[in-house]
Amino acid sequence: MIEVVAQLKRQDFELDVSLQLDQHLTAIFGPSGSGKSTLLNVIAGISKPDQGRVVVNGETVFDHEKRINKPIHQRRIGLVFQDARLFPHLNVEHNLRYPLKFIPAHEQQFHLKDIVNLLEIEPLLKRTTHQLSGGEKQRVALGRTLLSSPRLLMLDEPMASLDESLKSQILPFLKKVADEINIPMIYISHSKDEIMQITNNVVYINAGKIVD
Amino acid sequence: MLEFFSFTPAEIAILLLSVKVAVCCVLLIIAPAIAVAWLLARKSFPGKSLLDSLIHLPLVLPPVVPGYLLLLLFGNNGLIGKFLNEHFGFSIAFTWLGAVVASAVMAFPLMVRSIRLAISHVDRRLELAAQSLGARPLSVFFTVTLPLSMPGIITGLILAFSRSMGEFGATITFVGNIENETRTLPLAIYSLTQTPDGDLAALRLVIISMVLALGALMISDRLERKASQQIGHSHD
Amino acid sequence: MQFNQYLKVAIASICLALATSLNAAENKEAVVVFAAASLTNAINEISANYEQEKGAQIKTSFAASSALAKQIENGAPADIFISADTKWMNYLKDKHALKDNTVSNLLTNHLVLIAPVGKRFDVTMNKSFDFFGAFNGKLCTGEMASVPVGIYAKQALTSLAWLDAGQSKIVGTQDVRAALTLVERAECAVGIVYETDAKISNKVEVIATFPDNVHEPILYPLSLTKDASAKSADFYEYLKSDKAKAIFTKYGFTFLGKK
Repeated sequence: MIEVVAQLKRQDFELDVSLQLDQHLTAIFGPSGSGKSTLLNVIAGISKPDQGRVVVNGETVFDHEKRINKPIHQRRIGLVFQDARLFPHLNVEHNLRYPLKFIPAHEQQFHLKDIVNLLEIEPLLKRTTHQLSGGEKQRVALGRTLLSSPRLLMLDEPMASLDESLKSQILPFLKKVADEINIPMIYISHSKDEIMQITNNVVYINAGKIVD
Repeated sequence: MLEFFSFTPAEIAILLLSVKVAVCCVLLIIAPAIAVAWLLARKSFPGKSLLDSLIHLPLVLPPVVPGYLLLLLFGNNGLIGKFLNEHFGFSIAFTWLGAVVASAVMAFPLMVRSIRLAISHVDRRLELAAQSLGARPLSVFFTVTLPLSMPGIITGLILAFSRSMGEFGATITFVGNIENETRTLPLAIYSLTQTPDGDLAALRLVIISMVLALGALMISDRLERKASQQIGHSHD
Repeated sequence: MQFNQYLKVAIASICLALATSLNAAENKEAVVVFAAASLTNAINEISANYEQEKGAQIKTSFAASSALAKQIENGAPADIFISADTKWMNYLKDKHALKDNTVSNLLTNHLVLIAPVGKRFDVTMNKSFDFFGAFNGKLCTGEMASVPVGIYAKQALTSLAWLDAGQSKIVGTQDVRAALTLVERAECAVGIVYETDAKISNKVEVIATFPDNVHEPILYPLSLTKDASAKSADFYEYLKSDKAKAIFTKYGFTFLGKK
């Protein structure tokens, strides 16, 4: 269960939201500039709201009044971005293994093997990140994020930079993750079509506010 | 003719001293240079531009000025030197350690510039991604920022090494020109031009200097390309 | 920078270059004197007097005689050279850089041991005295391989059999004034300089004078260079005159003059 109450004022933008997400998979839909990314940043700890609180699965990661503000690396919120953000100096396998360094073994939710099989990235393991297509990069990014044993998975327009054929390649994997992995997911997108293929549970956002 | 290509013991001694001073100089400044470069590249704080200017001073001042200031600070009768001498019996004036310090002061801004540039080009979004994967800020620095800055760090290292090998003004002002102790390659050349019929020997050292400088540049180019490849930049 | 700005800078630079070269053309009238560093104060005063009396221009350059000799050998535009030893004058003679028959011994000096004021210690000028054991720290003098005061110092230390014990404690400087300054600043515990240098500083004291027999006689030969201007002959004679003698003597030199 994710609870977000946040007010954030920037130079040319204002976010004012209050929402509770208790479904396994929620999509957040809105046009560009509507505040989707800001909302993601608030939940992830990248941006600090002026007011409010953020609670993830019972743990308060931000509370303005109680002066709680957990840094990004402590929130265990997995992020998958539009541009994959794989580490260029590591090969695929080392990218995947990266988060394992920061979690004690008994807290690790997944084995490398399982993720590799789930996302079918076995043949890619020894490649450098430059030898991957856009879709392959996203699968690796998804795998890497899963291996960080997040308690919440947020995908920020993960298919926005892929062409149609690549999108249709990665979509089944996203569905697989949604179905087989027991981690709450938030899927952010400006494309209704994309969202419709994944879930019916949609939150609408526009101009920094949740729209009913 | 072959004798021309073999080094005399005196020349070897000068070379070894220069290399010793240069290596120690680099080792002395590498960690502070990385720290300062990171600070300048990533943080803002009151007094930042003052710090930036202070660090760059040795680049724009005539080298005798930092040398003279070092003498005032660390000379046997200097502000700090006197304290060190009286309480610890330790003095760097007129020693090769002093030559290391002189080189360090002159080379520091070069190293900082190079590393700062490299760090500022590291995609901060990668650092954010690393944090989201559970890496705390120090880990992010060592596992992401530093490896991706490696080409710039290598360039900075080689620049500092070369600068030290060529350091003259600050060295001669601070630690003098003492044979086997502070008489590095440039100072040796200078001394030979002052001695009767020292011109041939001076010329030999000049050629050695040029070969060393060329070698350093070539190695630097090689290493930088390799590092760039490893982090995935295409290099023309 | 825009092209216009480049143009402006270029024009300004050219004007500056022209102006300075015109100035230089004027200054070809000046007499250029290269003199040993120990003569700095004396020659400055003598030149100032000469300039006032005759309305002429003197330009001076002071450094170790070795440095000056090498510069003259390589074509430096000096008219007059005053060395702190005969060695460097002979060096130039051999290189045919001097005007025939113009070398004459002008001055002599004495070699002294100095210490920073208040830091004196007793010295006995004989072989049995453990000189380098008598103080902590460094001994500063000119570079012993080339600078005249260093050469004399080396001779003195060798005659007194002190040299071997002190090799690691000796700091060679590029001229005698640099050694003097280091002792003034107490960077060096002791220094070997000329008596005349010790005299002009109130931050050092003379702790002993080397007897004349432990080193070659300290002679300051004077000469015109091969390409000396006609004008410079007058100042050359002036340096041997009684007026100059008075000033040299004031600074502690012994005047040999018209020989």
